[in-house]
Amino acid sequence: MAILNEQLKEQLKRRFTERLHDPVQLTLYTRPGSGRLILPGGLGCATCGDARELAEDLAAAAPEQVQLEVVDVSARTELERPVPSLTLAAANGEANEGGGRLGWQGLPAGYEFATVVDAIERVSRGEHGLADATVDALCELTEPVELMVFATPT
Amino acid sequence: MALASPLVTALSVEANEFPELSQRHGVQSVPRTVVNGAGAFVGAMPEARFLAAVLELTRPAEPPA
Repeated sequence: MAILNEQLKEQLKRRFTERLHDPVQLTLYTRPGSGRLILPGGLGCATCGDARELAEDLAAAAPEQVQLEVVDVSARTELERPVPSLTLAAANGEANEGGGRLGWQGLPAGYEFATVVDAIERVSRGEHGLADATVDALCELTEPVELMVFATPT
Repeated sequence: MALASPLVTALSVEANEFPELSQRHGVQSVPRTVVNGAGAFVGAMPEARFLAAVLELTRPAEPPA
């Protein structure tokens, strides 16, 4: 069964047509062909297929602005990326260096899918949507800050 | 925040798919935000409180007196 039904795909297409501006780069790290079977040693990937379908649906909704690269980590062992994981960056921006500082590890289903859609729009428009006071505080940072937000697909 | 500052990296982790990682970071309820792999706080909160919680966890430790 498709992750997004035709109605949702159409909604996504309309929404992206209205809201996207500059191109964005989505990079999906996956292990193709591993199926849903989880094997000892972490060889399986239960959600890689679904994550790829979701990422392809996002790219298909705005092919001019959402560029998708699918990276097979089994062929790039030096990457050591958990799969599936998705990163997002401006397609031509400095933020793209290093593969993007915004990402999702695991299948971004449920409300997490809404966060991906929202983030694509924000990156495309260069709008973070934060209050001035927050931006001022972030400008004071002198060291890197790594945020990991654990969530469940509800 | 990652869009507003080049020093911020933000990763959303599906807790059920990565149980070892979740266990390592003490995830018992969600959303749980882990800052620099160490300190953490639980719950969704308004922007100002979220920022304050992050900054509190990134503040350098006071040197012993």
